[in-house]
Amino acid sequence: MAKFLLLAFRNIFRNRRRTLMTLLMVGGGVAGLLLAGGYFAFMTHGLREDTINSGLGHLQIFTADHFNRDEVRVLDTGIDNWRQVALAVKTVNHVRGIAPRIDFYGMVSNGTKAAGFMGSAVDPEAERSLGFISRIQTGRDLNPKPSGEVEALIGKELAKSMNVGIGDGLTVLAMTSDGALNGVDVQIVGIVNSGAPERDARYLRITLPAAQRLLQSDRVTNLVVGLDATENTDRAYAEMTPRLNGLSQKMELKKWIDLATYYKQVNTMFNGIFLFMGIIVFFMVLMSSVNTLLMSMFERTREIGTMLAMGTPRAWIIALFMVEATMLGLVGAAAGLVAGNLLGALLNASGLHMPPPPGYSVPMPFKVRILPLEMIGSSLLVIISLAIASIFPAVRASRLRIAEALSHV
Amino acid sequence: MEEIVNVEAVSRRFPLDDTPIYHPAYRFVSALSNASMRVAAGEFLAISGPSGSGKTTLLNLIGCIDQPTSGRILVEGVDTSKLKPSGMATLRREKIGFVFQTFNLIPVFTAAENVEYPLLIQGVDSRERQVRVAEALESVGLSARARQRPDLLSGGERQRVAVARAIVHRPALVLADEPTANLDTHNATQLIDLMHGLNRRLGLTFIFSTHDARLLEHTERIIRLTDGEVVSDSSTQGGSRG
Repeated sequence: MAKFLLLAFRNIFRNRRRTLMTLLMVGGGVAGLLLAGGYFAFMTHGLREDTINSGLGHLQIFTADHFNRDEVRVLDTGIDNWRQVALAVKTVNHVRGIAPRIDFYGMVSNGTKAAGFMGSAVDPEAERSLGFISRIQTGRDLNPKPSGEVEALIGKELAKSMNVGIGDGLTVLAMTSDGALNGVDVQIVGIVNSGAPERDARYLRITLPAAQRLLQSDRVTNLVVGLDATENTDRAYAEMTPRLNGLSQKMELKKWIDLATYYKQVNTMFNGIFLFMGIIVFFMVLMSSVNTLLMSMFERTREIGTMLAMGTPRAWIIALFMVEATMLGLVGAAAGLVAGNLLGALLNASGLHMPPPPGYSVPMPFKVRILPLEMIGSSLLVIISLAIASIFPAVRASRLRIAEALSHV
Repeated sequence: MEEIVNVEAVSRRFPLDDTPIYHPAYRFVSALSNASMRVAAGEFLAISGPSGSGKTTLLNLIGCIDQPTSGRILVEGVDTSKLKPSGMATLRREKIGFVFQTFNLIPVFTAAENVEYPLLIQGVDSRERQVRVAEALESVGLSARARQRPDLLSGGERQRVAVARAIVHRPALVLADEPTANLDTHNATQLIDLMHGLNRRLGLTFIFSTHDARLLEHTERIIRLTDGEVVSDSSTQGGSRG
C-alpha cells in the first residue's frame, strides 16, 4: 500500500508545470471560497450581534395572546405583571438582564406639522446594562429618572422632516389603552441614526414610565432578555420555558432568530450566493481536472499497458488515478487554505470598507471571518471534485487494450 | 520434459478501420495464421522473422495480453482462451515475466522499486520483497544501481533491470519482445549472456522474438515466421555456448 501511494505521489510531480497549474486552480478555488465565505460569515456574524445588541436581545417574552389575536387597543395583549415574570426568569443560567418594552404608535407634532411614529418605551438603565446601543448621532441617551419634561430620542429622518433638533419640544399623541386620545410634551435629547433611513423616519423612544402614563396602562408589550453569549440561546430557552409555563398568564418565549427577519433574509441570500460560488468552483475544478488527468493518461499509455501486461488488476489502475487526483486535491486544498488565511489576514489588516448594504447608510468594514467548517467544506469540495474528475480518465486507462497500449508512441 | 506452452492452430486477424465495407474479404488483416508450437520447460527459444511476420503477435498471444481469433493456447496446461480477463491477469501476474524492446520501466520508481513491482501486485510481504529484489538485482549485476531511477541508467542497464523485473517473481515463462533491438552490440551481447545464464542457472524458460543474428547464435531452438505463418522450427548449436 505504501509503495502504491508512493507511486501515486511521485506521479503527481512528473509534469510539474501541469501539476502547478492544477494546484493553482484548486488552491485558487479554495482560497476564493474561503475569502467569499469568510466575508459572508463576517457580515452575518456582525449583523447577528448588531441585531441582538441594537435591542432585539437574545430572547423575548410575550403573552401568548400577542401572537394569537390582533390588538384592538394598545397593550391589549400586553404582560400584566411584568415584574413577576422578570423575577421568574432572571435566575435562569446565562441571563445577564431583562428589559421591559412597550411598542406603541401615534403622531408627533411640532405645532405646524405632524408625522406618524412607531415608538418604543424602555427602561434606559436596563437597556444600558444589557449593552443595547441606541446609535445616538447627536445629543445623549434618555435619563432613567428625568427631573423635568419627558425626554425623547427621535430618528434622524423624523427630526429632519419635523425640522427639530436637540432641546426642541414635540407633542406626542397616542391612543390610550381605553381608546381615548392622549398626549404628552417631550423634549428631544438625542437624534438617532440607526443606519436604516426608513426606520429613522418613524423612530421615537421615551422612558417606560412616560409611556405608561401616556397609554394609561401598567402593562408592557414584552420583556427582552440579554444573555452572556449568543451561543447560549438554546440552553437558556430550554431552561426558561418551564418557568414561564408555571405563570398565571400564558406566555410565549421567542428566540432572537425567530424575530430577526432581516438577518434571516441576508443570511439566506449569502448562503445562496456561497452555494452558487461553490457549484461554480466545483465545475471549474471538475472540467479542467478531467482534461489534465486525460492528458496524463495519454502520456502514460505505454506505462499503463506495461502495468496491465504484468498482471496489475484493472481496479488498481483506477485506484491509482483516483488516489493521484485526491492527493492533488489535498495538496491544492492545503495551499488554498494557507493562501486564503494569509489573504484574509491581509484584508483584515487593510482597513478597507465596502459600500453600505441595502437599507443601510453606514459603510461596512471589509473583513473576513474564516470558520473551521468553511475550511473543511471548501477543501472537501475540491478534493471530491478532483476525485470525481479522475473517474473517467481512470476507467479509460483501466480499459486500455494492452497490446495497443504497449505499442503506443 | 514438462510442457510450458502449447500453441494449437492459432490465428489472429485484426480489423482494418479504413477498408470499404463492400470489400468484406479485405476488412481484416491476418497477423498470424494457423500457427502451432510446443515449448518445454527450460527452453531458450527464439521466434525469428522479418518485421511484420507476426513475432510480437505470437508473443502477445502466449503472454495472454491478446486473444487469438481461432485456435487455442495452453500455458502450463491452462487453456487461456477460456479465461476471463481477470483470470488472464492472474496468469500473467503469477506465471509470466515480460521484457520489452523499449524497457518500459516505471520512470518514477528506482531500479529496485521497478523490480519490486511484480511482487507488490502479487501481495508478497515487504521483507520477502526486499530479499527477492536484492537477489534479482544481484543476478543481473545491478545491485550498486538499485537506488537509481531509470533516466540515470544506460540502455543496457535499463534492460537488465527489466530482466530482473521479469524474473523476480519466479515465473514459469519469460517472454522478451525484441530485447536487444535498442541496444548496442556490447550491451546486446551482455544481455544475451545474462538471459542465457539465467536460463541455465535457474531453469527459466525464455521465449523471445528477434531478428538479431547475435541473439539467434545463442539459442537452442528457432521458430521462423514469415507473413504470419510458421515456416520452420529448428534446433541449433548456439545453445551450447555461454
